[in-house]
Amino acid sequence: MKKIIFSVLVFGASMSNAQEITKDSIKTISIDSLQQAINLHQMKFDALNEQLSPLQAQVDKMSKLKISGYMQVQYETYNYQDVPTANGPLQLKPGASETNIPLSTVPVDITNSFLIRRARIKFTYEPAEGVIFVLQPNFSFSAVTLKDAYVQLNDPWLNTFQLWVGQFNRPDYEVEFSSKNRILMERSRMSGILYPQERDLGAKLAANFAPHYNLPLNVELAVFDGNFGEGAIGNQTSDVDSEKDVMLRTYYSLNLPDSGLGIDFGASGYYGKNTVFVAGEFSDVNSSPFTAEVGDKLKKQWLGTELQVYYDVLGGIALKSECNFGTISGEANATGVLNNNPGFNFSAVRDFIGYYVTLEKNVGAKNQAAIRLDSWDPNRKLSGNEVTAAQDLRVNTWSFAWQYFFTETTKIGLGYSMPINETSTSITTEGVGDLYTSDVKNNTWTLRFQASF
Amino acid sequence: MKTNKLKVALFLAVVLMTGLAFTTAGKITVKGSDTMVILSQKWAEMYMKKNPGTIIQVTGGGSGVGLAALINGSTDIANSSRPIKSSEMEKLKARYGTLGVEIPCAKDGLSIYLNKANGVSELTVKQIGQIFGGKIRNWKEVGGVDANIKLYGRESSSGTFGFFKDNVVKTDFSPACQSLPGTAAIVNAIKKDKFGIGYGGAAYAEGVKDCKVKKDDKSPGILPTAETIKNKTYPISRYLYMYLKSKPTGETKAFVDWILSPEGQKVIVEVGYYPLK
Repeated sequence: MKKIIFSVLVFGASMSNAQEITKDSIKTISIDSLQQAINLHQMKFDALNEQLSPLQAQVDKMSKLKISGYMQVQYETYNYQDVPTANGPLQLKPGASETNIPLSTVPVDITNSFLIRRARIKFTYEPAEGVIFVLQPNFSFSAVTLKDAYVQLNDPWLNTFQLWVGQFNRPDYEVEFSSKNRILMERSRMSGILYPQERDLGAKLAANFAPHYNLPLNVELAVFDGNFGEGAIGNQTSDVDSEKDVMLRTYYSLNLPDSGLGIDFGASGYYGKNTVFVAGEFSDVNSSPFTAEVGDKLKKQWLGTELQVYYDVLGGIALKSECNFGTISGEANATGVLNNNPGFNFSAVRDFIGYYVTLEKNVGAKNQAAIRLDSWDPNRKLSGNEVTAAQDLRVNTWSFAWQYFFTETTKIGLGYSMPINETSTSITTEGVGDLYTSDVKNNTWTLRFQASF
Repeated sequence: MKTNKLKVALFLAVVLMTGLAFTTAGKITVKGSDTMVILSQKWAEMYMKKNPGTIIQVTGGGSGVGLAALINGSTDIANSSRPIKSSEMEKLKARYGTLGVEIPCAKDGLSIYLNKANGVSELTVKQIGQIFGGKIRNWKEVGGVDANIKLYGRESSSGTFGFFKDNVVKTDFSPACQSLPGTAAIVNAIKKDKFGIGYGGAAYAEGVKDCKVKKDDKSPGILPTAETIKNKTYPISRYLYMYLKSKPTGETKAFVDWILSPEGQKVIVEVGYYPLK
């Protein structure tokens, strides 16, 4: 702005001088009059400077605030199965898990729908070097919910450590990889069950040894309330018990630029407990019944490995994989249960294993493709006809997607999701009959439009 | 039958992907470092003269801007006067599944510009860092006259800003440091300001004096010359880089190869920087 005003004034001054030169000889202009003109302009500049100085301070403040966001709107078509209910066969509700008893159904079949998946704005304010505030609301039809709200402090001495406090993503590769950048339409089923809603409330100490020590090693240690994404939203605003869940993740980046190869590999661990809120009969890791009392603590702990391989061939290809195994516990949803995990709606303790393998291919400057197999086996001790509860069935999901970048910030994606559940003739859950003697139909096509800024 | 259809579909998908992967537009776009704009334009002009069928478009904006453009796919080559940050590499991994390709293409020294009337002519790297960090505010603290130090620097999108901050200042710049849009503007400001100090490419130091830089208290002061920058005895030396999202192919590869050839490297000297060998 200053530059424009300055240019206009200088140009104006030179024009007025030029006019005088055409009228009279240059000798007729006295030094005094020139000096007066200069002084006049100098005063104008000073006045402008005075006016602009406070504005500059405001602009400097504003430049510390970054606003970004994205929106995903989509059209889906469903091929969902009718399931037996008390009111006769009804279609399994699109998006509902096929093994989460009781099954969610819809009274009238739905074969397709438009919907808004994401509408988020992220505010990042950095008032001073190394101090960051992040606020990210998500907008939906009827509510605004808080996705991220945290303070991040970076250590100014070693430029290595960061402290995060508030509500933020749990430290896991797939969780921390924003759906804005993901090629496939959804995260793996394993992530959704182990880390519902991705975030949690707590504190994290992260260390990145690359800038100061030139060591491409990252370590993240986090402590969380442990009940985010579980139970009613009102129960997630603070802890529902005194137990805290602890997560540790570490990964190393091996970069071989000469061969165009990058390998990130790491391990993680989760140590937490689930509190029982309603006394009753539960099932242990051997599927044997036991009675739990209010306040009892059930195991919730697992170990994980991760691998991401990037290779510069035909424009770029990536292989990404994670595997988690351990013990998960839950309590079926009922009045009084404050921490029901909607992805594990089961009064049980189970030894599980889950993994995914994703292959991503960049195609030219505007296209991306990906294919993924993800597997979630909630009870690795039983398989096939040994399984007597639908919640114990393994589900393998094939996912395919193609993304086209319409502009740098707008992309159109087409995806297909094909979950295939393990079958068993031994499931006698009331109402579902022989539903699980074959794969439950629940495939989905998604056409997504995403705009980000 | 089903298997055959699947095989055909997979084959077609592979052919399509391979074809699209090699598809390149007839134009090469280069964006980024302002320090490298003149050099890059000169390279482009000479290359286009030799290869009339090729169009090369060069723009500046700063290293950060160039690397952001590389990540979002709006440029083929990003010029940068600082190494790529790990956060930028992560974005390349996420978007393209590659680490990016780093090509050092020239050497440069960052001069510390002083007004010719300034009595100070030698500073340690630490002193320079403390001056731009705001700890040293008066010339008398470094052997000069009793006068406040006036700081001139680049905008935060500049790779020169990033390199100088990471390697010399090592903390926040003093709020008193006036950001100017380009090295030439800094040189002009120092020419007029007896108590000014600024930094920028060694090639731009016209009408101002270069400050001798000492690695530490015990080291001798070194002036930024062709020899001291090339043999790295001048303490504030750096590479100038080109970044690509993946291994170059077609016209882009030919252009990059030419830049690294003796003919391309000769241009570097003409513009005032230093060749790799």
